[in-house]
Amino acid sequence: MIELVNVSKSFSNGVDVLFNISLNIGKEEFVFIVGPSGAGKTTMMKLLYREEMPSSGKVIVDRVNVAELDYKQVPYLRRNIGVVFQDYKLLPKRTVLENVAFALRVTGAPRSTIRRKVMQALELVGMLRRVNAFPDELSGGEKQRACIARAIVNNPPILLADEPTGNLDPTTSWDIIQLLDKINRRNTTVLVATHNKSIVDSMKRRVVALENGRIVRDQLLGGYGV
Amino acid sequence: MFSNLEFFLIEALRSFRRGALMSLVAIATISVSLVIFGLFLLLVINLGNIVGTVSSRMDIAAYVEKDISLEEAGELQLKLGKLPGVEKVEFISKTEAWRNFKQEFGTKLELDDIMTSNPLPHTFSVKVRTPDLLPAVAKQVSNFQLIDEVRYSGKFIDQIRTLVDAVRLGGAALVVLISFATLLIVVNTIRLTVLARETDISIMKLVGATDTFIKWPFIIEGVILGVLGGLVSFIVLKFSYDAIILRVAAALPFLPLVADQRLLAVIHLVMIVGGTALGMLGAYISVSRVLKSEV
Ligand SMILES: Nc1ncnc2c1ncn2[C@@H]1O[C@H](COP(=O)(O)OP(=O)(O)OP(=O)(O)O)[C@@H](O)[C@H]1O
Ligand SMILES: [Mg+2]
Repeated sequence: MIELVNVSKSFSNGVDVLFNISLNIGKEEFVFIVGPSGAGKTTMMKLLYREEMPSSGKVIVDRVNVAELDYKQVPYLRRNIGVVFQDYKLLPKRTVLENVAFALRVTGAPRSTIRRKVMQALELVGMLRRVNAFPDELSGGEKQRACIARAIVNNPPILLADEPTGNLDPTTSWDIIQLLDKINRRNTTVLVATHNKSIVDSMKRRVVALENGRIVRDQLLGGYGV
Repeated sequence: MFSNLEFFLIEALRSFRRGALMSLVAIATISVSLVIFGLFLLLVINLGNIVGTVSSRMDIAAYVEKDISLEEAGELQLKLGKLPGVEKVEFISKTEAWRNFKQEFGTKLELDDIMTSNPLPHTFSVKVRTPDLLPAVAKQVSNFQLIDEVRYSGKFIDQIRTLVDAVRLGGAALVVLISFATLLIVVNTIRLTVLARETDISIMKLVGATDTFIKWPFIIEGVILGVLGGLVSFIVLKFSYDAIILRVAAALPFLPLVADQRLLAVIHLVMIVGGTALGMLGAYISVSRVLKSEV
């Protein structure tokens, strides 16, 4: 489903972030990407939906080298990858409902479909009660859920969650991870970038550890540390 | 596309309301330039019309100051008629000319009180076949002993023609310049509303919106600005031109001003369409520029 082949990334200002990364993630896997702040987790995810381009190497998503994708095809790639952003990226002047609906609207889905799917997604993340709230009226956990609802609303085969438990208390964090697990069980490949040791340890899933832009460990049924 | 139309419209209106002041500025700019454009168009059309009316008078006026008998006049009329290039010769005796003159202007002046005798000469009106024959025929007519003075409007026409050409050229240049300036202002106005929504746009792109999808609301906003600007300019131009026509008709009644409603309607249509095009193009350019800088 996702394959990185000798991927390196340097930013135009000369900062080298990723070095010769190779990684293979199969369909419907659940993978934690762990590593200290600045290790390159977010950058690696950005390569997958082409918010960033690799400096060298191949980034293959669903058999297509994303780096060579035509500009006009990028939106269609992004519709196949739901992203829960580290900083949420909810549209501030729109309600939860509108935010989630937006991801479907851009696909040109008919209104009745949009309504039905948005409600399903919001129900799945437990946000039905907050549909008419604006982002700045939400708690961190609620924003996270709204963001997840938007990411999954058109059933993408891939879900990327960047630090989805960033500022949340342990219980809420746990709820969110359970939610991601549930989504994974619905045949979605899920990548979660996180610092959250206890969660990684208790989930016993595949763990890819990044350090200074290199993969230092790739372990099935792993934990946060060695 | 059509399932999105309502959404695009709502988005456009939302953005329009949010930047109400800038929108008003854009509308004002569009209408001012369109009014100037329209005034120039009307000026050129009217000058052309005057030239057309005047140059369709392909006749030479030959004056005879001396008192001549009707026989003499008839003889001269025949001779003039035989000149090459002449189509028709008409004789207007001084008495007739005086009567005509009084009929035309007599209501304003009590001419008989001012003038005791008829000051006008006898006139032969010589009609030529084509305007370019005017100078040659005029020369031959002036060669006749009895003829004191010959006049035709050729020189005047040439001067007006040069003027019209200059106005047309200058007008075209000005219109291009103004349209360009307007376009720049519209581009920048809409760019402000686009930039104000840069975050929104980047999020839209990240969740898979195509550039086209993002552009539509802005283009619709541009169209709204353009249509409103066009309407305002149409109203301003219509009322000012109507007022001008009235004044001119009162002060210079012989000046043939264009008042053909169909022609005016076409000009108004051109202005509204022009405004719409300006708004649309301006929006398109500015949103495209911002989109290009987004990943
Ligand atoms: N656009 C950019 N231009 C230059 N440098 C960048 C850019 N984006 C990220 N970096 C740098 O790349 C490195 C990796 O950043 P990245 O966001 O991938 O880290 P991370 O592993 O996600 O960290 P965190 O756990 O704090 O989110 C950092 O040193 C960061 O400063
Ligand atoms: Mg990060």
